[in-house]
Amino acid sequence: MTHKGRNGSARAKDATKEFRLPAIEVRQGPSRTLYSFAVDGKLLSRFTTVSRVRRADGAAIRGYQRPEVLSHIAEIRDYLEAGDPMIPNAVVVAFDRRVRFEPGAASGSEGRGYSRVGSLVIPLDPDLAEADRPGWIVDGQQRIAAIREAEIESFPICVVAFVTDDEQEQREQFILVNSTKPLPKGLIYELLPNTRAKLPSLLQGRRFPALLVDRLNHDAGSPLRGLIKTPTVGDGLIKDNSVLKMLENSLTDGVLYRFQAGDREGEADVEAMLGVLHAFWRAAAEVFRDAWGISPRRSRLMHGAGIVSVGFVMDAIADRYRRHGVPGEEQFRRDLEPLREACRWTDGYWDFGPGIQRKWNEIQNTPRDIQLLSNYLLVQYKARVWNRAAEENLLAH
Amino acid sequence: MKFFFPDSQDLVDPSFDFLTEKRSETRIRQQHDEYPHEVFATPPYDGMLVSKGIVDGTGSDGGRYTIAQRQRLLRQGVRSFFRLEGRPIETMGDCGAFSYVKERRPPFSVQEVIDFYANCGFDYGLSVDHIILAFQPGLDETLSGLDVVPEEWRERQRITLELAEEFLRLHRDQRCRFVPVGIAQGWSPRSYAEAFGELQQMGYRYIALGGMVPLKTPEILSCLKAVDKVRRPETQIHLLGVTRIDHIPRFSRLGVVSFDSTSPLRQAFKDEKDNYYTLDRTYCAIRVPQVDGNPKLRRRIASGAVDQAEARRLEQACLGVLNGFDGGRCTADEALAAIQSYEGLHDERSNRAKAYREILSDQPWKRCPCEICRRIGIHVMLFRGAERNRRRGFHNLYVFHQRVQRESEGSPARGRRVGTV
Repeated sequence: MTHKGRNGSARAKDATKEFRLPAIEVRQGPSRTLYSFAVDGKLLSRFTTVSRVRRADGAAIRGYQRPEVLSHIAEIRDYLEAGDPMIPNAVVVAFDRRVRFEPGAASGSEGRGYSRVGSLVIPLDPDLAEADRPGWIVDGQQRIAAIREAEIESFPICVVAFVTDDEQEQREQFILVNSTKPLPKGLIYELLPNTRAKLPSLLQGRRFPALLVDRLNHDAGSPLRGLIKTPTVGDGLIKDNSVLKMLENSLTDGVLYRFQAGDREGEADVEAMLGVLHAFWRAAAEVFRDAWGISPRRSRLMHGAGIVSVGFVMDAIADRYRRHGVPGEEQFRRDLEPLREACRWTDGYWDFGPGIQRKWNEIQNTPRDIQLLSNYLLVQYKARVWNRAAEENLLAH
Repeated sequence: MKFFFPDSQDLVDPSFDFLTEKRSETRIRQQHDEYPHEVFATPPYDGMLVSKGIVDGTGSDGGRYTIAQRQRLLRQGVRSFFRLEGRPIETMGDCGAFSYVKERRPPFSVQEVIDFYANCGFDYGLSVDHIILAFQPGLDETLSGLDVVPEEWRERQRITLELAEEFLRLHRDQRCRFVPVGIAQGWSPRSYAEAFGELQQMGYRYIALGGMVPLKTPEILSCLKAVDKVRRPETQIHLLGVTRIDHIPRFSRLGVVSFDSTSPLRQAFKDEKDNYYTLDRTYCAIRVPQVDGNPKLRRRIASGAVDQAEARRLEQACLGVLNGFDGGRCTADEALAAIQSYEGLHDERSNRAKAYREILSDQPWKRCPCEICRRIGIHVMLFRGAERNRRRGFHNLYVFHQRVQRESEGSPARGRRVGTV
């Protein structure tokens, strides 16, 4: 399948109508030749285009690229505009045979026979319709769109190109570069705290909770030290994701929110947050000592639902003491103690109200079960501690 | 007449920038966002109605609250969560019967609902009800003793009354502080009046009429008249989900003291044409959908039928020219041309030229004194994304509340612009 009007006969004759770019030619195999070069990303659209997937008149499929993902482009664009950006990975372009390579004078002496330097000559015709440009973008359309739209003067980008008139070959490469397996989330989160650059907003938002996880897992004196299972702490008991969720809940709606200080991440009081977390989880480890420090298979406390729900108890206790600042370990311990007999972390049945009983290990790490368990713990806490204290207060006055 | 605004997590993000369409990266939902009563100097409602169905989420609907938000609401109570302290706004708790209308029985126990109201610290709590989705006034004419009323309707009314009785009993036993509000469900004026009478008999002095959302005004009035025959002078009525602003004085004479409605907000982005309120008419909002936010346009781009770059160009041109028009740099004709070129791409079947020409010549947002219109100008008229659409909804609430107050005072102020100098 060849593109219409792309049989290579339309070679540019006028010297001003072509780009000459320093390039390296790489022979990867008997019939495979690649070209590596750099070009201002803002100029790419003058000789490349994107082959959008569509159905031509009848049923035959044409092209291969999806539409631009505008939100993704906006993220890259923000990164590019944030100052001193770097995009080290090359975009991939398929040229047709109108593009040619001219070896340089010094070529041949270096590169052990598989590579040589020279110039890539790309015809440039402003009158060409978009579909007739000599290059097709196989990989990197979002990056290129971001460079095109960013409010920056220019941005040189690395390009790896191959020459073919065959759309099938382009399609194959498109599938290959786009079907890599994404990194495991846990690894990304573990690496996050030690980054400073502007990241995509989803990761940006996770960086701070990930930093707290890191400190909880490694600080001397942390009750969770070595307990959080991450790619590099393989024998941890509690899943990193469970702790992340617990922290995020408190950062947006609980006691940790109080230390977020205004609108800027940089101003968050990390030490104060760790102080509360240490005090609470030390108290929780002591009150629920039978369920603490064993595998989540044997204790629902160390399980996602347990960690997240008990995290809400931390926020509830902190709310009760709100007027007196932040509770310390002893106050947390005293407020948790009455909950001990209402909990079934390692055996027995949870009594969630009329008709709702759950065996201790039937609680799953699902939003529904987390809500059920969290509500139960809050109701128990209100009944056993909060309201009782309020009544006693009332009687005392 | 008191107007209660049902909460559905309708907030706006004050950090949203209308030119770049970006928001603060450190924004925390709900905590940093603003409710209508925080946007306007005077709250545009007298109360908020908060439904357990929306807070909890039911079945397929995961709920609009995150678990963390829900827990905070339950811990800190409704006044703190909605930041109502120091504001003259009352709160009413509700079950959200529409969310379980298809079930055989309400999915909550009465005790659970009472706990929800008490934990959150509501001023009023509505009893647990089950909606009857039918209105057949003709059945009142048939002879008594004949079983012409479908069993399911009678069953739903019976469930509603039984739960209301249990609700009141638990309320008394547990010395709850919120005011209990009974709910009457029916299928005809007489059946509503009977349910109303029974609730009054149980001891309710504040009774809501439910299931009236689909009814026409004369039907609602016929029910109110039937109810009025059994109503004690001191018993007050709330109309659930009913908005009939022109009839406020009549409703008021028949014992209605309050109602709730989301329609001013929802019309801003659900209605075909009545999107922007003024005191004496409505306007259609100008459709400038986001290229990647409009499902139909997105499908056409994905299939290759529409060129994405072209769509982006027309969209951006539209926004640019509308901003220019608001700033006096473009003419109405230029604006209209840009709007129509884009409309041809995202909605080729409609042609709203007439409505748009009217908007551009009237410029109603320039005459509106409300905080939203003064702050964001022409953006309040754009049908585009939640930040603009909800702000238009807030503006509608503001206008709506003024009308409610005007009608409640019974003053013949029609045509007068409240609030303008």
